[in-house]
Amino acid sequence: MDKAQLRRGLHIAAGLIVVALAIGLYKAKSDAARTEAHVRQLEAQIAESEADLRALRAEIARAESPANIEVLAEEHLGVEIGSEAAALPEDSLARRLPAPEPEAGK
Amino acid sequence: MRPFGGTLSSELGVVAPTLEAAPARNRVRFLALAMFALLTLLAGRAVQLAFSGDPLAAPRGAAAAAIPRADIVDRNGALLVTTVRAFALTAAPALVWNPEETADALRGVFPDLDRATLVRRLGDRSRQLAFLHRGLSPEQREHALALGLGGIGFEAEDRRVYPNGALAAHALGFTDIDLNPLAGVERGLDGAIREAGAAGRAVTLSLDIRIQYALEGELDAAARAAGASGAAGVLLDGRTGEVLALASWPAFDPNEAGRASDNARRDRVAGDVHELGSTIKPFTLAMALQEEVTTTGELFDLSQRLEIEGAPIEDHEPIEGLATLRDILAQSSNIGAARLALRLGGARQRAYLERLGLTQPTRLQMGRNEAPLAPRARGRRDVAALGFGYGLAASPVALAGAYTVFVNGGARVEPTLIPRAPEEEIARTPVFSPQVARQMIAYLRAVVTDGTGAAADVPGLGVAGKTGTAEKPGGAQGYQEGRNFSSFAGVFPAANPRYIIVVTLDDTGEGASGGMVAAPVVARTLRRVAPMLGLSVAARAAE
Repeated sequence: MDKAQLRRGLHIAAGLIVVALAIGLYKAKSDAARTEAHVRQLEAQIAESEADLRALRAEIARAESPANIEVLAEEHLGVEIGSEAAALPEDSLARRLPAPEPEAGK
Repeated sequence: MRPFGGTLSSELGVVAPTLEAAPARNRVRFLALAMFALLTLLAGRAVQLAFSGDPLAAPRGAAAAAIPRADIVDRNGALLVTTVRAFALTAAPALVWNPEETADALRGVFPDLDRATLVRRLGDRSRQLAFLHRGLSPEQREHALALGLGGIGFEAEDRRVYPNGALAAHALGFTDIDLNPLAGVERGLDGAIREAGAAGRAVTLSLDIRIQYALEGELDAAARAAGASGAAGVLLDGRTGEVLALASWPAFDPNEAGRASDNARRDRVAGDVHELGSTIKPFTLAMALQEEVTTTGELFDLSQRLEIEGAPIEDHEPIEGLATLRDILAQSSNIGAARLALRLGGARQRAYLERLGLTQPTRLQMGRNEAPLAPRARGRRDVAALGFGYGLAASPVALAGAYTVFVNGGARVEPTLIPRAPEEEIARTPVFSPQVARQMIAYLRAVVTDGTGAAADVPGLGVAGKTGTAEKPGGAQGYQEGRNFSSFAGVFPAANPRYIIVVTLDDTGEGASGGMVAAPVVARTLRRVAPMLGLSVAARAAE
């Protein structure tokens, strides 16, 4: 193989590499665009979920508000706010809870 | 390889111009090197991306969690304020088929909307987009969508929500529809709230929502019973200055702040000043002891009224016989306090009032801290009046801040709504000596056990404090006898003083003294909150 052939072979090889790189670049770019679109979609979903989560947290806070707890305490535990019972230690509440229901089969 | 070698030249028998080919070779080598360097850079970047991920993607992750205004939570993490997704109802007038019919259909879902305004906006084709209603919940949006109206759309926006409704409304404040802060900590901590929102963090306040609820409940009941026009209450940890509860009455719902009256929205804890009356007397006694113009053993004859520059000073119930400092405070003697103030003199009195923080606005993180009305005394009459709480108007939170001297060995701590870190150094302004502060606790306890503040007592807790009943300014005489500003400023537990409570009721009727209307609020509140503070109270006697 003389030098001219070698040079031609190298040119062809270089050309093929350039073509392969161009195809690779195109594929990488299209993959990146697809991934970016996917990321954007995921971000939108996350933002949506976070908005839902914040709304749910607000609902929980509303349900756990002292005013709501007061109503539940009066209804289920018979504790009147400001009464002696309201100042009792936490463990004494167990005595006021309804007796546990017997398990089936016993 | 010689791309421009001398083959042809040698064939023609010419001397090879190797010197001319050399620059070309160098250019090729340079090009090859440049390409090599470029490929190396690209390869390096590929390796970096493979092992460390895309550093540009990091801010994107944080941005997903960012909100315009941060959540606000209490000291135990209970959610007080949050930002939720909301929607604005919009219209593209060019696409609206019939403004009247569209307006009628929309009013079926939103009856509060004004029909004429709706029709005008829907028919205004000079505008591309018109906003019809703001702050809609997702459910309201669904209802509107179900109408299937042409030209009607929605824009996503954020809305501030206060899940506890009216609870702590004055402390939290509120924003307008565009989330601009208008009052409370929403305004006072605006920068911190925006910064924390961008970082996806919450802002923590020193408030305890359970204590807040108890204080507001008792304040509401008492204010209604006394026929007061307004009321305020503040409870703070006097050692750290952390405000645990801060209540104003009447209350309002910050979720619908626009519908509340100005009177209901008014913060009376930091934003309102009043002549405080006898709750100032403990400071007069402490000043006198500190300046050694009296002693704990001195006896006073207070049976005769005092007349200064033609103005009489008298006691509501004159003390018979000789009185001690303890009696002066327990029986709330104006004559005794005035005599001690006169011994001090105006200059020394003023210096103490300044160090007590009663002459400058407080620095509570609220939308507004009203400046006190504290003119300098112009004569003996003013000095005497200041001694028993007239001629100086300050806010309830300023009074609470001044009372911290009794739980900090005589030093004052500034009230704050920001929780202190465990090892945080707290700025203390020395005012009185620890001995004077201790002596004053004994006198303040006597007010509750043997004096005007008996209704504030909670057996087993050891409440110490002072009642205050100031006539409101106005009328031909300068003050109106039938209109009072009634208050109680307390410290507890007396055995190891730590907490401060101040309760005030505005515009109570004749005879409604602080001991009658404000002191019971303190007792009822403390009975409820003592377990939350890790304090025990004695069981009540059977009724």
